[in-house]
Amino acid sequence: MIELRFHEELYDGFAIDEAVKTYAAYATAELSRDGGAYVVKVTAKPEATQQGIEERVLSAELANYALGLSIERARETRAGETAREGGAA
Amino acid sequence: MSDLSLHLGEGAIRIEFDEGLYPKDAIYGAAYVFIDRCWVHLDRVADRRIQVTLKAKKAGADTQAYAGEFQNELLGQAWRLRIVEENRKLVEAITARALGGAAGPPGLDELLSMDIGEETAFEDPLGIAMSWEEKYKKKGKAEGAKAEGEGASEGASEEEKAS
Repeated sequence: MIELRFHEELYDGFAIDEAVKTYAAYATAELSRDGGAYVVKVTAKPEATQQGIEERVLSAELANYALGLSIERARETRAGETAREGGAA
Repeated sequence: MSDLSLHLGEGAIRIEFDEGLYPKDAIYGAAYVFIDRCWVHLDRVADRRIQVTLKAKKAGADTQAYAGEFQNELLGQAWRLRIVEENRKLVEAITARALGGAAGPPGLDELLSMDIGEETAFEDPLGIAMSWEEKYKKKGKAEGAKAEGEGASEGASEEEKAS
């Protein structure tokens, strides 16, 4: 089992949920919150390890996916805010 | 502090950035560029300090070189953000004018909502209410035609006298 901690100010909770769902075929994940961080405990499924997928690599890929989605969501939010500001002006 | 950087194993590089120098959006931008080549993890290590952990996905790839590239990319992203902020008002103004021009002439609703009072109702700054003849008839020709008309009427009266 590998514990990943994602800071709440830098990662989006929905993005983490989405990443966990995406990798659900390869790993089981336990989600919680602790001290301003989203905590994800990742355990690779036996099918994944049989295919030669390392738990370490799986966790890192899940974290990358969560980061990518967090960035995309942050951009969308920012773009929406800018559009609203422009509309109000 | 995340445990992920520990699990990335040997060869992972950690770089800390001050948010005062590099905004979070710039760090996001640089991280997004490296997501396909590296495992990237962000963490807040102190107030206004973000730590980036990088590790190359390919075995044997030079993570140190990637770290250097990351810093260059970050500088570019921060600069781009600054330019966007500086030119934002200008871009907004140009876009608004372009959209205003593309909207074409006012629709019926807009015309109906216009404030037309007695003072402004009969104003004709473009001369639309003027007839074509008034607007385009040449002065010299008009006078000639008038003279011709007068001459013809005189001739007719003489003929009437003779008969």
